[in-house]
Amino acid sequence: MGLPNYPVHLEDPLFQGFYDGLDAGELRVTVDAETGEFQWYPPEVVPGRPDARLEWRAVSPLGHAYTFTTVVRSLLPGDHKDEVPYTVILFEPDDAPGVRIAGVLVDDEGVTPACGMRLRFRPVEVGDHKIAGFVPA
Amino acid sequence: MMKSGKIAITGVGETPFLRKGEEHVMQMMTRASLAAIADAGLRPADIDGYIINKYAGHPSEEVAHAIGAGQKRFSAVTDSAGGTATSGDALRLAQLAIEAGLCKHVLVPYAIRSTKPGGVYAFHAREPQKAGLEMPAGFFGQPTYFASMANRYAHEYGMTEEEQAALPMTYRAWAAITPSAQRRDPMDLAAYRASPMISTPLRVADCCLTTDGGGAYVVSSVEYARDLPHPVVAVQGLGLGYNNYPHGVLFSQKPCTFEFPGRESAAQAYAMAGVDPKDLDLAQVYDGFTISALVQTEMLGLCDVGEAPRFYAAGHAMPGGKMPINTSGGHMSGGYVPGMNLLIEAVRQLRGGEGARQVADARLCAIAGLGGNNHSTTILARM
Repeated sequence: MGLPNYPVHLEDPLFQGFYDGLDAGELRVTVDAETGEFQWYPPEVVPGRPDARLEWRAVSPLGHAYTFTTVVRSLLPGDHKDEVPYTVILFEPDDAPGVRIAGVLVDDEGVTPACGMRLRFRPVEVGDHKIAGFVPA
Repeated sequence: MMKSGKIAITGVGETPFLRKGEEHVMQMMTRASLAAIADAGLRPADIDGYIINKYAGHPSEEVAHAIGAGQKRFSAVTDSAGGTATSGDALRLAQLAIEAGLCKHVLVPYAIRSTKPGGVYAFHAREPQKAGLEMPAGFFGQPTYFASMANRYAHEYGMTEEEQAALPMTYRAWAAITPSAQRRDPMDLAAYRASPMISTPLRVADCCLTTDGGGAYVVSSVEYARDLPHPVVAVQGLGLGYNNYPHGVLFSQKPCTFEFPGRESAAQAYAMAGVDPKDLDLAQVYDGFTISALVQTEMLGLCDVGEAPRFYAAGHAMPGGKMPINTSGGHMSGGYVPGMNLLIEAVRQLRGGEGARQVADARLCAIAGLGGNNHSTTILARM
């Protein structure tokens, strides 16, 4: 299996906390700093609360796959032929139901991906950055 | 609720649907528009209203100038995408304008160059949340998004490979008897399985075509339509379903990623038309991908929830089946001018005379139009 290697827009402060979390070995998502409610993906405006401030919170590394797909033909801009196949997971952490984090299935030799499969987060290095990886738990 | 049977589609026209064409969008929109106006028995000077699709990238004055139209009295732009814009939103705006007496004959043109640089994927690449969080993880492109929906759908309701294949095979069977269809080569299960995989479980055969082409139609009041050359095909029902998920979160964060507001749009359309799904003679379903067409088939009420794969596998939507669907091949085999060629085919079937693919005594046709996270259901009737 391969891994997607597409540049991360680390200059965008809206997503910086996610990649800082990966560097620290954590899955971090955004919450409303006042109410503590998950606001994911980080919105430019929290619905109904334009003054609200977001903060990053680490969530459980354990969770399950809401869904998945194995990408055989990459549609990413540029030449990514050598990076396929890889399996994308939409991961729901145990303590953040409904929050879904896109990442890739790793250490999956002999594993058939499935909706609902138990997974554990593990960051994966790709080129000069990290992405969210998930190993069967 | 809008009134039923007040407006009619009086003219339809399209360009050839090509895998790679030479003409730009404006040329194709003009060519299709002039064909639709002529089909209605009108002259360009008779067109006084325009509904423009924001994704076409050309305002109404450019269209009016290109077709040599008369005085413009009304114009509006649809704020939705895909089939919702062309086969739903545009008709509602046209009815509002005509019933208000603002104009008499509304032109709705659209064209697409799927082969332009960046293609149909560029739209999503511009979404900051996709670029920031999804693309680095390799989650990108409509086939990949819809493939992840298909796996979830199969998890919840079950779907074998043969059942999944039945939908594109059905639409190809219709395309095979449609002279203007882009893909007419036969597709059996072996041919389906030979189609390259893009993102599991979706193969190329499960995706809409790459098309350079255009289509257009003219909307007039039913009173005017009675004096025009064709049998009157009226808008009997029209429903629009919206929700507020922005495109950036559309394919990953909705509670159910394959839930579109199609049940809402269908309920409105059936109520306005005063009919039930069992009254339909045929349907056109926006088929960007196998999974989205399956779900919309259920939302139209043509089969039970979770049963669309079995519905298609049983042959019910095939030529000769009890509910013909996508009778010119749809977007997966006929051509991909979002929503437009489905609506044009509905009008032509209701007029009659479509040769080998004509559905006998077709009088009532539903058109399901998915567009982003919005949805339209339109019910056309031959009066």
